[in-house]
Amino acid sequence: MAGAAALGLAFGSLGGSAKAAETPKKGGTLRLGMEGGSASDSLDPRTYADSIPISYGYQIFNGLVELDADGNAKGELLESWETKPGATEWIFNVRKGITFHSGKTLDADDIIYSLNLHRGETKSAAKDLLSAISDIKKLSANQIQITLSSGNADLPYNLTDYHMLVVPNGFTDFSKPDGTGAYALESFEPGVRVLTKNTGHYWKPNSAWFDSIELKYIPDTSSRTQALISGQIDAANRLDPKTVSFVQKSPKVSVLQTKGTGNRFAFVALCDTDPFKSNDLRMALKYGIDRQKIVDTVYKGYASIGNDTTIGPANKYYAPNNPPHTYDPDKAASLWKKAGSPAIELQVSEGAFSGATDAGILYQEAMKKAGINLNVKRVSGDGYWDNVWLKAPFCAVYWGGRPTVDLQLSQTFISTANWNDTHWREPAFDKIITAARVELDEAKRKQMYAEAQNMIADTGGMVCFAVGDYLDGYSKKVQGTAPHPRYDMCDQKVAEKAWFS
Amino acid sequence: MTIFGQKAPATALVGLLIILLNVLVAVAGPMVAPYGETQVVGGGWDPSSATTWFGTDQIGRDMLTRLIYGARMTIGIAFVTTILSFFIGITLGLVAAVLGKWVDVVISRLVDVVLSIPLLIWALMILNVLGQSLTSLVLTIAFLDSTRVFRLSRALGINLVALDFVEVARMRGEGLWWIIGREVLPNAAAPLMSEFGLRFCFNFLFIAALSFLGLGVPLPYADWGGMVKDNVGGISFGLPAALYPAAAIAILTVGINLVVDWFLSIDARPSGAQAEM
Amino acid sequence: MIRLILMRIGLGLLTLFVVSAVIFLLTQILPGDVASSVLGQNATPENLAAFRHELGLDQPALSRYLTWLWGVLHGDFGVALTNKRDIIQELAPRFRNTLFLAGYAALLALPISVGFGILAAVREGRLTDRVANILALICISMPEFFVGYLLILNFSVNHEYFPSLATVSSDTPFGERVWAVTLPAITMTLLVTAHMLRMTRNSVLAIMSTPYVEMAFLKGLTRGRVVTRHALPNAASPIISVIALNLAYLVVGVVVVENVFTYPGVGQYMIDAVTKRDVPVIEACGIVFASVFITLNTLADVLAIVLNPRLRHPR
Repeated sequence: MAGAAALGLAFGSLGGSAKAAETPKKGGTLRLGMEGGSASDSLDPRTYADSIPISYGYQIFNGLVELDADGNAKGELLESWETKPGATEWIFNVRKGITFHSGKTLDADDIIYSLNLHRGETKSAAKDLLSAISDIKKLSANQIQITLSSGNADLPYNLTDYHMLVVPNGFTDFSKPDGTGAYALESFEPGVRVLTKNTGHYWKPNSAWFDSIELKYIPDTSSRTQALISGQIDAANRLDPKTVSFVQKSPKVSVLQTKGTGNRFAFVALCDTDPFKSNDLRMALKYGIDRQKIVDTVYKGYASIGNDTTIGPANKYYAPNNPPHTYDPDKAASLWKKAGSPAIELQVSEGAFSGATDAGILYQEAMKKAGINLNVKRVSGDGYWDNVWLKAPFCAVYWGGRPTVDLQLSQTFISTANWNDTHWREPAFDKIITAARVELDEAKRKQMYAEAQNMIADTGGMVCFAVGDYLDGYSKKVQGTAPHPRYDMCDQKVAEKAWFS
Repeated sequence: MTIFGQKAPATALVGLLIILLNVLVAVAGPMVAPYGETQVVGGGWDPSSATTWFGTDQIGRDMLTRLIYGARMTIGIAFVTTILSFFIGITLGLVAAVLGKWVDVVISRLVDVVLSIPLLIWALMILNVLGQSLTSLVLTIAFLDSTRVFRLSRALGINLVALDFVEVARMRGEGLWWIIGREVLPNAAAPLMSEFGLRFCFNFLFIAALSFLGLGVPLPYADWGGMVKDNVGGISFGLPAALYPAAAIAILTVGINLVVDWFLSIDARPSGAQAEM
Repeated sequence: MIRLILMRIGLGLLTLFVVSAVIFLLTQILPGDVASSVLGQNATPENLAAFRHELGLDQPALSRYLTWLWGVLHGDFGVALTNKRDIIQELAPRFRNTLFLAGYAALLALPISVGFGILAAVREGRLTDRVANILALICISMPEFFVGYLLILNFSVNHEYFPSLATVSSDTPFGERVWAVTLPAITMTLLVTAHMLRMTRNSVLAIMSTPYVEMAFLKGLTRGRVVTRHALPNAASPIISVIALNLAYLVVGVVVVENVFTYPGVGQYMIDAVTKRDVPVIEACGIVFASVFITLNTLADVLAIVLNPRLRHPR
C-alpha cells in the first residue's frame, strides 16, 4: 500500500470511559444529543456540512475508505487498493457480499455512480478532493480503476471524506435513503430528531450493538449538557470547555477528550491588502497575541497552542517555528512601528467559531500592552462565511482536521486554492507541496513539510493561536468509546462502535 | 417626604433612589470603576475576592467594573431607543386614531405587517442589511419597538376620540395637532407612562436577546443584557457571574416602575381615590 | 358589524400579501443566498454555480416570486430549497407544537394577569398590589433565556421534577407532552404576565379618575363593585389590545425559549431558514405567523367595539 499514515496522535482521556471495557452486548436505544445541524439538513450526502448530518450519514451509509484508530487509511466499501509508481493509476477492489437495505448487492457500478455524484457539474463540497481524477473505469463487477491527472500517493485518504457515501447505481431519491450502513432510516425530522433502526445484518464484525439510534438536535450547549447530566440523553458532543470540569463531577457522566485534533482557531489577514501587505505587520500580529492566555481562559486548557499554520502539534509532520512565536509585546511594537504603525481592524463572530469574540477581546488586550490599537468588530454569525470570510482583510476562521498533511496545507495555502483565505501566494511553497505529494522517502518528506510550515509561519497571513480539543460527554453506561484522530464522537461512528454495559 | 409638592410613598422613594444611583453610576462610571472597561484582571469566572468584589466574567474582566460601565451603555441605549420609539409610536398612533378612515387603515395594516413577523427575525434581517453599529442597533430597536407603542396609543386614542370633549373640540374646528396635543395626549398619558416604564426595560432585554444571535452592542463595550448572555453558561453549574447583571436589570426595572406607579397614583387621586375617602 | 368583520378579513388577506412581498424583498437585499449558505466554508465558484442552477436561482427575482405566489394561491407552498422537503408537512407539526405551547402558557398567564391586575386595582396601594406588582416586574426584568436556565437548574437538575428537554414529536402522548412542555410554558407565562397585569391594573385605575366612577363612589358602592361593574368594562379596550398583543407574542416571539428548551416550534424553523436563506420556508413561516397575528388582532378589535358602547354606535 502506498501512502503513509499522516497522523500520529496523542490521546488523553478524562473520566475513565476509555478503560478496557467488558464484552460488548446487544440492545438498547442510544440517545444522542448533538449540535451541528439545522432544520434545513438533507439526507443527500452532497450537502453535508456539519456533525449531525455526518453522524446520521454514517449510520445509514458506508464510506469508501475509513481512517483507523491510528489515522491510517483502511478499506471500507473499497476493500483494498494498489498503485503504480508515480501514483497516477489506481486499482480499487470493491468489497464482496455487501447488500443495501433494499436488498441489492453492492458492485463496482454503485461505487462509480457514488463517486461521480461529486464530479463534474455538482454542488458537492467534495468536488475539489476529486478534481485530480481524470477517469474512472469499471474493470470487473468488483474492481475499478481510477486515473489521476497528476500523481497523488494519498488518494485513499481523499476517499475517506464524509461526503463520499455509497448509494446504489442510479439512486436519486435521497428522502428514502438506501445504504449499506448498520442502521436503516425510520424517521427523519431535520432540526428535531433522526431515528434509525438496526438492520440486524451489518457486514462489519463486532459492531452495531444498539437496536436503534435516536439522534436529537440540541443546539444550545447548556441544554445539551444538562440533558446529559440528568440522563435524558446518553451522549452529547461539543461540551463547553468552560464548564467541562463541572460535568466531570457528575457521577453518571464521563468526558472523553481528544487532544489536539479539534478545530484550528485562527485570525487570517489578506496578504495582498493594505496594511497586511507588510510582513512586518503580519509578524507583529503573531507576536502580539498571547496564545497561552487565550488557551487558558477561553478554552480552559482544553486546547494546544497554535503554530500559525493549520498543522496541529499532534501531527507527526508538525514542525515548531524557530524561534517560537510566543507573546512578546516589545517585539510586536517595534515590528508594528516598522510597518508604519497602521490602524488594524479584526472582524470576529461566534458564527466563525465558538469563542471567537472572547479570543478577539483578549487579543485586543494583549495588543494594547504593546501600544497597538487593535479594533475588534463583532459581526453577525449569519452569513459569515459568505460576507466576511475571504472578504474582510482580517477576520476569524476555523479549519477542521484533514486526513493528510497534504490536504491540510494545500486546501488553504497553495496559490490556486479556492480557500486560500490569506491570499498568501508563494511559488516555492507550491512546488514543495507538489513534490512532497509523490515523495515516498519518509525522512525527506518530513523535511519538506517542515520547510513548508516554516514558510507559512514566517511569512503567511494566518495567526493560528490554538488547536482545540474535542470534548464528548457520555453516560457511564455507554462503553466502547475511544478518541479518534479525525472527528469527535468516535469519528461520528459512535452508533456502530459503542454499546451499553 | 414630599417631592415636587407631592407626598411620595416609601416605595416611590426607593424607586427614585434606585434610579438616581443608576444615573450616578452611569455618569461617573469611569471615575468609580476599579479597573478599565476591557482590562483583564484574572482567569475566567474567578470567584469574588478582595480585589474583584463580584468576581470576574467569562474571560477574566472584573465584574463590578463591567457592571459600572454597563450602566452607561445599557441605560443610554434603552433611553434613546425608548424615547425614539415613543415619539414615533405615539405620533402615528394618535394620528391614526384621530383621523381614522383610510389613514388609520393604512398605518394599522403596515404596523401589522411588522408585528406579525417575529422581532428577532426582523432584527436579524435589518441588522444584516444595515450593518452592525450602535446607530443601526438603536434605530432598529426603536423602529421595531414603536410598532408596539403604536398599537397601544391607537387603542387609547380611539377610546378618547369617542368621548364628548374631543367631539366638541372637533366641532370648534380645532386642527389635528391641537386635538392630539391638548385633548387626547393628556388623557392618554397615564397608561402610556406605565407602558414607558415597561418598554424601557424591554429594550434592555431585547438587546440581550439580540446578543443571543450575536447582534448586540459592539465589542468591547459592556451592556447588562449582553453580560447575562455571555455568562449564562455557568448558571447551571452554580457559577453566579450571570446573576449580577441580571440583578442589575431587575433592580432598575423595579425602581423605574415604582416611580411610574407613583405618578399614576397622583394622576388618579383627584377624583376616584378621593371619592373613596 | 358583519360588514366590519368582512372588511377586516379582506384587509387581513391584503396584509398577508404585503407580508409576503416585504419578506421576499428583504431576502433579496440580504447578502448571500441559499447556495452559498448551505455550502458555507466549503463553497467554491464551481459548486456554487451548479447549486444555483439546480435551484433555479439564476432566474430573475420577480419571476421567482410570481411563480411562488401562483403556487401559494393554489395551496402549494412548495418544497424547501435546502432539503427538498414538503414545506407544509414540515411546518404543520411544528405549528401544532407552537400553538400547544402558546395555549398552555396562555391558560396559565391569562387568569393570573387579569385576575391579579384587577385585584391590584381594587387594593391599590396596599400590600397585595405592591407584592403582585414587584413580583411581576422582577419576572419580566430577566432575559428569557436566563429565566429558562434558572428553571432548568431548579426543576430538572437540582430536583428532577420536569425534563429540561421539551423535544416532543407527533407520537408523544398528550400527558407526556403536557409534562415536557411545562417548563417552557412557565417561562413564557413569566414573560407575558407582568405586561398584562400592569396594563389591566393601570387601565382600571385610569378609568377610576373619571367623573362617572366618582359618581358611583358617591352612590356608596364598594370599591370592588365599582371596579368590576363600572371601571372594568370601560377599561376593556386597552386591556384586550394588550392581551391580543401578548397572545400573539406567545406564538410569534418564542424563538429564544424554543432554543433553550429545544422545543420544535416554528420560530427555530424560521431562524434556520433565514440563516440558510431558504426563501420559500421563510415565506411560509412568515405567513403562518402573520395569519395568527392578524386573526388575534381582528378578534381584539371586534371585541373592543362590542364592549365599548360608544364605539358600537358610530356617529
